Amino acid sequence: MTESGSDQERERHDLPVRLERVEKRYGRRLVLDGVSLDVPPGITGLVGPNGAGKSTLVKAILGLVRLAAGRVEVYGHDPAREPRQVRRLIGVVPEDDASIPGLSGVEMVQYAARLSGLPAKEALRRSHEVLDWCDAGQERYRAIETLSVGMRQKVAFAAAIVHDPALVILDEPTNGLDPLERRAMLGRLVALARDHGKAILVSTHVLRDVQSICDRLVLLVRGRVRLAGSIESLTGAADRDLRLRANGPLEALAIRLRDRGIAARLADDAAGLLVQAGDPAAVVAVWEETAAAGVEAWAFEPERRPLEEVFLAALEAADEADTGRTAHAPA
Amino acid sequence: MPLHDVGYRGWDGTLQNGTAAGVIAGTGIRLAWKSRWLRRVVLFAWSPALMFAGGFFAFEQAIEGGSVAAGREAARRLDGFGMVGQLVATSLGGTLDDPEAARRIVWSRLLLAFMRAPQAVLLAVVVGLVAPRLIAGDLRARAWLVYFTRPVSRLEYILGKVGVLATIVGVITLVPAVSLWLVGVLVSPSLSVALATWDLPLRVIGAAAAVTVPTVLLALAYSSMTAESRIATFAWFATWVACWVAHGALTGADLAAATRPGGAAAFESDPFADDAAAFVPRRSHRLGWLARAAGVDDTVDRWAWLSLYHAQGVVQAWIFGIEKRFAVVLAPLMTLVAVAVGSLVVLFIRVDAPARA
Repeated sequence: MTESGSDQERERHDLPVRLERVEKRYGRRLVLDGVSLDVPPGITGLVGPNGAGKSTLVKAILGLVRLAAGRVEVYGHDPAREPRQVRRLIGVVPEDDASIPGLSGVEMVQYAARLSGLPAKEALRRSHEVLDWCDAGQERYRAIETLSVGMRQKVAFAAAIVHDPALVILDEPTNGLDPLERRAMLGRLVALARDHGKAILVSTHVLRDVQSICDRLVLLVRGRVRLAGSIESLTGAADRDLRLRANGPLEALAIRLRDRGIAARLADDAAGLLVQAGDPAAVVAVWEETAAAGVEAWAFEPERRPLEEVFLAALEAADEADTGRTAHAPA
Repeated sequence: MPLHDVGYRGWDGTLQNGTAAGVIAGTGIRLAWKSRWLRRVVLFAWSPALMFAGGFFAFEQAIEGGSVAAGREAARRLDGFGMVGQLVATSLGGTLDDPEAARRIVWSRLLLAFMRAPQAVLLAVVVGLVAPRLIAGDLRARAWLVYFTRPVSRLEYILGKVGVLATIVGVITLVPAVSLWLVGVLVSPSLSVALATWDLPLRVIGAAAAVTVPTVLLALAYSSMTAESRIATFAWFATWVACWVAHGALTGADLAAATRPGGAAAFESDPFADDAAAFVPRRSHRLGWLARAAGVDDTVDRWAWLSLYHAQGVVQAWIFGIEKRFAVVLAPLMTLVAVAVGSLVVLFIRVDAPARA
């Protein structure tokens, strides 16, 4: 093998997930329509309206469905041919409550560990360790069907990571969690990705969660990838506005800035001023005028488009593209 | 936060292969055993073994006493009904010329009777209590996600569930039957009897397998077809009852036709009964030539293939060496094989169907 060939091979084995022109049909319905996608290490958010094909995409990654066309690789393994190897590398937190009635929380996690191949004693030891990390407390000894939604979610999460998988896939991980639990869960995901090098794929409808923890976003609409990229690049404003977050006479400050040739306007949400300050001299001028106008500023940062806006714009574009495709289709 | 909380730590041990079926079976047995009703039924299922142990004792007493009558009386006194004594006496045909041969006949029949009469019925009840929930419960609780998102194959999953039922069935049939053989050895005059009858425990295992494999697979197949365990339970018992009724009705019709004046029926002796008065009728059948050409002898209990219970009885009798004509066994054996294979196919299609949907 040539050096570049071996580099490519290494790259394939380092990449958590790669999909190439994946197609999946249920009967005549095309659920995944030529999906090509790389999921790199870090946290990737998978978003899309209901019926977009997110669950089928996850099933394709796990090798649970037979593809009509295309290719899936998980760390270089083909899930259809090597499902055992692939599933050892993956931990899944399903959206729906999936448990074995009659088992306690810790037994459920131990059962999951043993199904993944951990020896019995090690499975129990590690189950407790992971449940401690998930802050499960003594509730872990209660029958799983009597646990609260939040606690069940912790158990499902612990069961997914108990065998220390390299890739964790979560479907709506913050469903039914109170704000504190939600923040804790997102914190754990960030810790897994940043401190332990895990690749995390989060399928969710909560765009706020995506924006707060994800490095990348994939938008799936009607089985096609409509948007994929880093959150930073997707939410960055095209006109490079800066937002001055401040209290005080913002209108007066805007006038003063415009007098100095710096475009400035009140933000639509009235929470600050949007300023176009492309060069360092303009930034200095903004600080000078802010002080002169008696405005109390606490942040001056690049303006980001809300993810919801990006999401809706992409949906509209997808609708227009599909309408155009239908209109131009031969009769 | 616990004092010993060490945060998240990686795990670099080696994951084991091929343990999933054992894990599923072990956990399934532990969960099933939590049912108070199951514990009671299993405990009750051992009670017939006490009566049959009396039969072994009575027979060995008869051999020592040198008369069948003594054995019959001893048995009658032991079980209180005379059922075991009757079985002992009729099995021997009233002679004890060759104690070794007599022992083989009587022990085989006692073991067969034990596995047929009380245990097969109890087994149907116990399987009906446990099996319907095994897969239907997983479908209902969406527990298939727990299995098929992990390195667990369909075969391992099915083997695990079969393991749960096979263990329970084994506790009800195999273990007490082998224990009965041990009791027989212990109450016999010499431990050399164990060597003379060494094959009986193996036949017990074979007979238990003949019951377990099709029964368990059929029950699991029903369980895999619905998320409502009640429906699977109903289907299970309905199958047993319907097959039993169909078998009884058709056999009864044969008997009625045979006893009609001028009926074209012939009589054959029942290979399972030594009593010369026990007959089952045989009628000429329109497709009889086909059965004979296929090597299927339908002269005895020709409807046995129709009922799981009766088909198992014929095959078990063959395993114990009581029925020696393979042609008689062929059709019931085919039934059991067909049920087992058909159930296995259904299981393979159904167990991970939600994952593929």
